[in-house]
Amino acid sequence: MVNISLNKMIRTNKISKSFGGVKAVDNVSVTFYDNKITGLIGPNGAGKTTLFNIINGFLKPDEGEVYLNDLRIDHLYPYQIAQLGIGRMFQDTRVLGKMTVLENVLLASKRQTGENPWKLFFLKHKVKKEEAIIKEEAIKWLKFVGLEDKINTYAENLSYGQQKLLTLARLLTAGSNILLLDEPTAGVDPGMIPIILNLLRNLVDEGKTIILIEHNMTVVLEICDWVYFMDEGKIVCWGLPLEVLADQKVKEAYLGL
Amino acid sequence: MNYFLHILIMCAIYLILALSLNLLIGFCGLFSIAHAAFYGIGAYISTLLMVKLGVNFFLTLPAAILGAMILAVIIAIPSLRLKGDYFFLSTLAFQIIVFSILYNWISLTRGPYGIPGIPKPKIFGLEFSDIPQYLILAIIICLIISLIFKNLYFSPFGRVLKAIREDEIVANALGKNVTKFKILTFIISGGLAAVAGSLYASYVTYIDPTSFTLDESIFIFSIIIIGGTGNFKGPLIGTIIMIFLPEILRFLRIPDTVAANVRQIIYGLLLIIFMRIRPQGIFGEYKFE
Repeated sequence: MVNISLNKMIRTNKISKSFGGVKAVDNVSVTFYDNKITGLIGPNGAGKTTLFNIINGFLKPDEGEVYLNDLRIDHLYPYQIAQLGIGRMFQDTRVLGKMTVLENVLLASKRQTGENPWKLFFLKHKVKKEEAIIKEEAIKWLKFVGLEDKINTYAENLSYGQQKLLTLARLLTAGSNILLLDEPTAGVDPGMIPIILNLLRNLVDEGKTIILIEHNMTVVLEICDWVYFMDEGKIVCWGLPLEVLADQKVKEAYLGL
Repeated sequence: MNYFLHILIMCAIYLILALSLNLLIGFCGLFSIAHAAFYGIGAYISTLLMVKLGVNFFLTLPAAILGAMILAVIIAIPSLRLKGDYFFLSTLAFQIIVFSILYNWISLTRGPYGIPGIPKPKIFGLEFSDIPQYLILAIIICLIISLIFKNLYFSPFGRVLKAIREDEIVANALGKNVTKFKILTFIISGGLAAVAGSLYASYVTYIDPTSFTLDESIFIFSIIIIGGTGNFKGPLIGTIIMIFLPEILRFLRIPDTVAANVRQIIYGLLLIIFMRIRPQGIFGEYKFE
């Protein structure tokens, strides 16, 4: 097993993916550096989410490779990629509605002995001990995102913003070191946005790598260390947030100038 | 009195079936209509071992479980490649195949003639022959199986299954090998359903394939739809209602021939009413949509 904590840089090499003749991702080579927040911006249909889906294994690229440091990961299953420490937050939250907030988070913890039905009966003691530790960890992260008083609520009963926070706690409990966040602030109560951004900053300070799809340019300017601009499946330009947002092509795409 | 105890024995048998189907449907979200096949396999393996080879009932149990588990793998591997309705249809096909085999493999199962003279369970010179004795055995076995399911339901394993039921993609993205969990669930659910079959066979001492038809699968399905899925009390209340309710008809002095039909009508009506008004069943947490 590769030491997960060292695996924090993601690199794609000339990946392409087409859907029925439309090139959703076209020859994209990007590097997402560790301990940085990298923004992925671009108009709708630019291929940003497709790129995420390729990185975390839901889609196989037609061409090209994806590397986690030196490990090639594009042929792995999504669950294997997740086990390597790449976590994914979906655009539409995807909380497990009929499970409690606590269950949503407990689930995320990796390599649980009690997930093996035979060990469940034969290593009962170990499972119990492990569960207590996982619970402690889960509650720690739920406190971190401010949901500790909701642990027994069904996730479907949370507000949209709280659901986003829940999915963040889920990723953190999973111990993911690389977080792929698809619009973490979209649809969230504006009062909650600074809280989320603050959380993300803290996480990077703690050593995580964050890749962020974002449409809110204020957020991009405020939080991203580096930005890639994508349009029609291609990486059009990249650089520091201010530079990219000043680029003529970006202005055209976003403001129609 | 024995009549009442007989109903309790049937409750114990169907509770095992309901709890095991609940693991599949209520937790993993896999709609299978092949449960009577596992029930039948259990009954036939135990019966054949006892009748043809004189094996002790209690020793036939592991064989029945193992046989059903093998059947589960055979059903699961091709079926789990299919999604939703197609998965359901695939389990339906297997249900019919198993019935056809039991019905037509006359040299082994005697087909429609059935197998009579199934011995009662014996252990350490103790024979569970009359109804009160058999009830004790049924309760003990049912308790053990219930305990196993209870442990599975409320465990990290059960938690992953619920996650698969809620959103397979998320379970995957959180590092859970969804296919592996589904196959495991199918194996456990099928294997333990076989125990109900063994228990049934040595209780009624005569089995034929008509006890393990699609109707039977639908009946087990109805139990958990009406009681509710995704927890323990749902299948329990469902079993009690579905086993006791038709017995009430006996007290209404409806002739037997009519009663059988009335029973079917009641099951159908109950299913429709629950699907319309309370799709999560009486105690369920999971809605069928």
